[in-house]
Amino acid sequence: MMNSMNNVEEIIAAVEANFDLLSSDVIDKYQVGLDVNKNEIHRLLIFLKTNGWIQLSYLTAVDWIEENEFELVYIVFNWDKAVHIQIRTRIERDVEKASIETIMPIYPGCKYYEREVHEFFGIKFPGNPDYHKQLILEQFDDLPPLRKDFDPLAYAERKFPKRDYPDKFTNLEGKESEQAKRDVTHERVSKLRTGGTKK
Amino acid sequence: MKSTKFTKFTEKEADAKWWEIGNYFRRNSIWMLMYCTGCGAIELPPAMTSAYDMERLGMGPMATPRQADVLLVTGYLSVKTLRRIIYTYEQMSEPKYVVGFGSCTINGGVYFDSYAVINRLDYYIPVDVYVAGCMPNTEAILNGFVDLMGMMKNKTANGWVKYHENYEWYKANQIQAVGEVHVHDEFHE
Repeated sequence: MMNSMNNVEEIIAAVEANFDLLSSDVIDKYQVGLDVNKNEIHRLLIFLKTNGWIQLSYLTAVDWIEENEFELVYIVFNWDKAVHIQIRTRIERDVEKASIETIMPIYPGCKYYEREVHEFFGIKFPGNPDYHKQLILEQFDDLPPLRKDFDPLAYAERKFPKRDYPDKFTNLEGKESEQAKRDVTHERVSKLRTGGTKK
Repeated sequence: MKSTKFTKFTEKEADAKWWEIGNYFRRNSIWMLMYCTGCGAIELPPAMTSAYDMERLGMGPMATPRQADVLLVTGYLSVKTLRRIIYTYEQMSEPKYVVGFGSCTINGGVYFDSYAVINRLDYYIPVDVYVAGCMPNTEAILNGFVDLMGMMKNKTANGWVKYHENYEWYKANQIQAVGEVHVHDEFHE
């Protein structure tokens, strides 16, 4: 009888035999990560789907701005073996060139994940008929917000007016401040207070 | 013999009297419309159930905006939810009141630098009572409702009147934030 760790190692061995595996890491006995080239993603996903990883749990991206690359992460799940597989690949980070063929023929449910990734990172998914449509953000007119070179504070200051606080203390209905009086009281009280010890 | 002569109310005075009577009943039977946008909603179950028992103040939940008196905005508002808030607020029948929960509705709270979250609610719809805190506890929330009842009694809870008077200003702010105030839904259009 095989235990789950055997399963993970078997998965890596099977993928290595058929694909050009760049690297792999075993996170625990239920999770394994595989790094492959961009052009092998679709073949690898077909391979995994026919071997039981029938559910695409998540598709997202990571912005590696220093390496000038986007990392796409596909997470697939098998209902019989309880092993999550992350398939990771790197693509160019350029706004115009960042694109990868859709995986809709393999996992049709990726339609909305791809729209989300396009909205938040600007990655194009040719083959997905709706990838360019707006999904979550409304009235957004700047760089995709999860790119590292996007400045959320500058955007918030430009779009959403702040409440301004003219003074440190604000008083209800323009009454005169009683802070000076409170300071005097506080000083007197702290002089009297000895913190439970005799002076 | 007592005089049967009495001075007749002018129409304005009679109107004010009726408003006073109406306000008495209104403030003792506040129906809330809960727009549970953020974490503030978690304080409502203890406020409504036996621990604090909101019902003793005559307050209760209401499912539709048309029959609700007070709109609770319980937390941060993204541009997307702001659009729905404006929709809901405009559907409510007057007089209507708004209670903003948490620091997010006051000045953005921890989301002050978010690309998706608006910073102050009273820029878009008038707010009668703010309950400050992140999160305000249940006592603070009930205190806020008691304050609202006091304001209704003193006729100072007039956010909805301000909305009429400054409609142009509010509308301009809303349009600046959400474009047209219309909910587009690609699944039903």
